[in-house]
Amino acid sequence: MSSQILGAVMLIYLLAAILFLMAELWSSPRLPAAGRIMLWLGLGIHSAALLGRWVESYQLALAQSVPAALAEKLRLIIVYAPLSNFYESLIFFAWCLPALGLMAFRRYFKGYLVALVALLSTLLLAYASLGGVDSSIKPLMPALKSNWLLIHVVTAFLGYAAFALAFGTALLYLLQERRPRPSLPPLPLLDGLIYRTTVLGFLLLTLGIFTGAVWAETAWGRYWSWDPKETWSLITWFIYAALLHARHLKGWHGRRIAWLAVLGFMAVLFTYFGVSFLLSGLHSYLT
Amino acid sequence: MPATRIQSKPKSWLWGTLTSIRLTVFLLLILAAVAVIGTVVPQNQPPDQYFSRFGEVWGELLWRGGFTSVYFSPWFLGPISLLAMNILACVVHGLPQAVRRASQPLTGETALTLPERGQITWPAGVDPHALIGATLSRELGHYRLETLPDKEIYLRERGRCRPVGPYLIHIALLLILAGSLIGKFWGVDGQLPLDQGEVAGAFQVGSRVEKPLNFQVRLDHFQVSFYEPGGTPKEFRSDLTFIKDGREVWRGTCRVNEPVSFGGLTFYQSSYGTQATGPIRLKVQLGDLSQSMEAPFRRPLELPGGQGQVIPMRVDGDFRGYGPAVLLAFSPGSGHPQAFWVLQNHPELSEQPGPYRFTAESIPFGYYSVFQVKHDPGLWWVYGGFLLFLPGLYLAFFRPVERWALVLAKTPKGRWQGRLLGASPRQREEFADRQERLLMELKRGTAA
Repeated sequence: MSSQILGAVMLIYLLAAILFLMAELWSSPRLPAAGRIMLWLGLGIHSAALLGRWVESYQLALAQSVPAALAEKLRLIIVYAPLSNFYESLIFFAWCLPALGLMAFRRYFKGYLVALVALLSTLLLAYASLGGVDSSIKPLMPALKSNWLLIHVVTAFLGYAAFALAFGTALLYLLQERRPRPSLPPLPLLDGLIYRTTVLGFLLLTLGIFTGAVWAETAWGRYWSWDPKETWSLITWFIYAALLHARHLKGWHGRRIAWLAVLGFMAVLFTYFGVSFLLSGLHSYLT
Repeated sequence: MPATRIQSKPKSWLWGTLTSIRLTVFLLLILAAVAVIGTVVPQNQPPDQYFSRFGEVWGELLWRGGFTSVYFSPWFLGPISLLAMNILACVVHGLPQAVRRASQPLTGETALTLPERGQITWPAGVDPHALIGATLSRELGHYRLETLPDKEIYLRERGRCRPVGPYLIHIALLLILAGSLIGKFWGVDGQLPLDQGEVAGAFQVGSRVEKPLNFQVRLDHFQVSFYEPGGTPKEFRSDLTFIKDGREVWRGTCRVNEPVSFGGLTFYQSSYGTQATGPIRLKVQLGDLSQSMEAPFRRPLELPGGQGQVIPMRVDGDFRGYGPAVLLAFSPGSGHPQAFWVLQNHPELSEQPGPYRFTAESIPFGYYSVFQVKHDPGLWWVYGGFLLFLPGLYLAFFRPVERWALVLAKTPKGRWQGRLLGASPRQREEFADRQERLLMELKRGTAA
């Protein structure tokens, strides 16, 4: 049932992407409004599907053990947030992209950027439903039963989403620089937007790493074990740290920063997909 | 004085290099490259793994070059120490100035150097003081007023502490690095496997070293529960009793994500293992002969017919989801010993070299608990670094920086005239919005 709803959400995002693309190509004032409504609609249904899965997981957990006190109940609710396997992380990543764009970067979230982001969400959802990813709700292994699960995953994926926005903006920048189009935002605006999204992503990635470290400390007695996921998140962090330093101290702007944002997002993708599939480690339960 | 110049030159060169951003970026790139190697080359494996995987030449190179434990090799420790020095040098170099800037409030004198953003002249006879006070309070918040003989200056600034932000971040990083060093040198980290009912007075540090405890710990009860038979483990918990000078001092339950601490050490429920609780009953076939035998755990058993011996090496309560299994090491009279798994419920899945054919009739097994035992005096340094990092990030990247001044003076004709000055290095759009609103509100008084 929830997978069919997500299939519908995927189509809605695709439609929104097409509407925004058409709006840019024919410079129509009405199409973006329609696209925006579509995107909000998709996000609303998407949120409801996430909540539905949360309720379902919680009810399955209740079948295992019934909590007595309210605190225990709350803990169970937090622990059973639908963020504990690869499928759920894909769905959540796909949610973070439009959510962050619509809520945190409302003013700049228009045109090709929205089309790109909506397309990315569509791809993620398509992969989740068609790529042979196991979508069943699995009982949690002991290490995942922690209050840190929710905050760790939420900060990490919001961070990924912010970097995805930076990546999309960087692509637009490079495109605009090579072949200027009046329909695209001006270069200084794109440059500023790459910076803002990167800074937000950097904050969230840092929080994701810190919460992961504190969690690992309580679960295994080690805040850092050089697990491939940890290491790659650190490499990603280094790249964005280098970007921020280059911009603040060396005055780098424009094309070079855009390429760094592209490189950073490649590292993000490797941290998310590459590490899960190619290297094994503490996060291997994802697959 | 040429002598001093010659002396000071290398020093300033060194200092210049240490505080340079180029060094930082260079080190970050090297660290990233080394870390990539660390994720591609499996770490801390026995040497034969590398030879079989990467071949003679590369295996030798990786092993001898320290790439098999790269995060503890000079390849990583060198650049990270340099990075720490680089960060420290930058903090020493820039922090005093940042603190000075943060502690100097905006004065009327400096405010007059800010760029002008607009002018308002009120009609004769209109006193704008009340309007200005109300508008500035509403739009900008708490302001200060400086009165000079010929003019009044309304001052408002936000984000004066912003220059300190980057230094907080870098001090936080130094705290984290220092914490990890402290943990490395003054902390202990080991493992303790415990059987149900067993009492331990020491734990293992590294593969061979035993470290004594100044108390004893007893595992009263260990329980592994599964969501369904053969499925995901649901919980493992250990009930521990701590004994000091022969007296039971404290009891605690240790679960995954819920460590217990005693005597300065913390016990983490890190994993569990399976072991045989009695001899394993095997059916041994050789041609038409078939015999049931009891094989004691980890002891050699001479086989009938005298063609070799067998040792049960390991047991697994649920081998790859197929139920109980035993790992047998079979040594023929001559030639290399061979190891293979025999599954109790799926004898057909076992590949055996012959000439004997083994089937498991019963595998008595139980679980034992494995703890990570740790004392890390650097942990709070690391956590302190985490906590300091966040206000640092806020100040450096998110704190709005704005300086405003409204200079109010009388024109020669006796009218009140205000000049709005201000600057914001970062948030240009928000600043422009606010400027527009401020001017609009202030001009409202001129229409009356």
